Amino acid sequence: MSDTLVEQAAPGARSAAAPFVACFLAWLLPGLGHFYLGKKVRAAVFFAVVVIMFALGVGSDGAASLIEQRQPLTFLATFDNLATGPIDLIDRYLTYGSIVYSLPGEEGDPRRRELVERLRAKVRSVTYEYGNTFLLTAGLMNILLILDAFDIATGRKD
Amino acid sequence: MIRSHFLNLLIFSALVAVFFAFLTQSDAKDRVRVVLILGGSMVVLSLIIAYVMYPFPLR
Repeated sequence: MSDTLVEQAAPGARSAAAPFVACFLAWLLPGLGHFYLGKKVRAAVFFAVVVIMFALGVGSDGAASLIEQRQPLTFLATFDNLATGPIDLIDRYLTYGSIVYSLPGEEGDPRRRELVERLRAKVRSVTYEYGNTFLLTAGLMNILLILDAFDIATGRKD
Repeated sequence: MIRSHFLNLLIFSALVAVFFAFLTQSDAKDRVRVVLILGGSMVVLSLIIAYVMYPFPLR
């Protein structure tokens, strides 16, 4: 059955703020932006897929990325983790025992040593690479969902 | 945690295929087609690449 039968956009035009509300909701919880726009089937599927992907990442010892000034790619990885929305806090807390986004700059900093040691504990896991792949893919998926919600809200896509 | 390479590959491919099927298609038949083509391609191509890489040493 097609979306045209199952999913119908909410009646009436939304306000000018709607695209940004949809984007914010899509970031807040995977699929929530589509739900807000009346695409309930898609919303349920997107929520399930992204949350399963995230849960597999956490369960497979994936680690939330930390910004390391000397490694530019860590900015991208951390941004990608943040794109999954508030659920990123779960993995961040499980990995580091606190909500932290960057490594302290000084090599001798005891806090830095503690964070690196916690990260190494994850890296030693045999499924670490799987977990990271799942976590990063969940983030990339949610970025696409945010952009898709924007396109639907602005009428570029049904 | 799942330690099997192949099972991880199957789950990952299935999730990505379902995601893109719903993202890009609105008709149920088209979605099934995308899931089969995309998911199948990911699994088959991964196995081919793994087969090609097999003779290379790990270290």
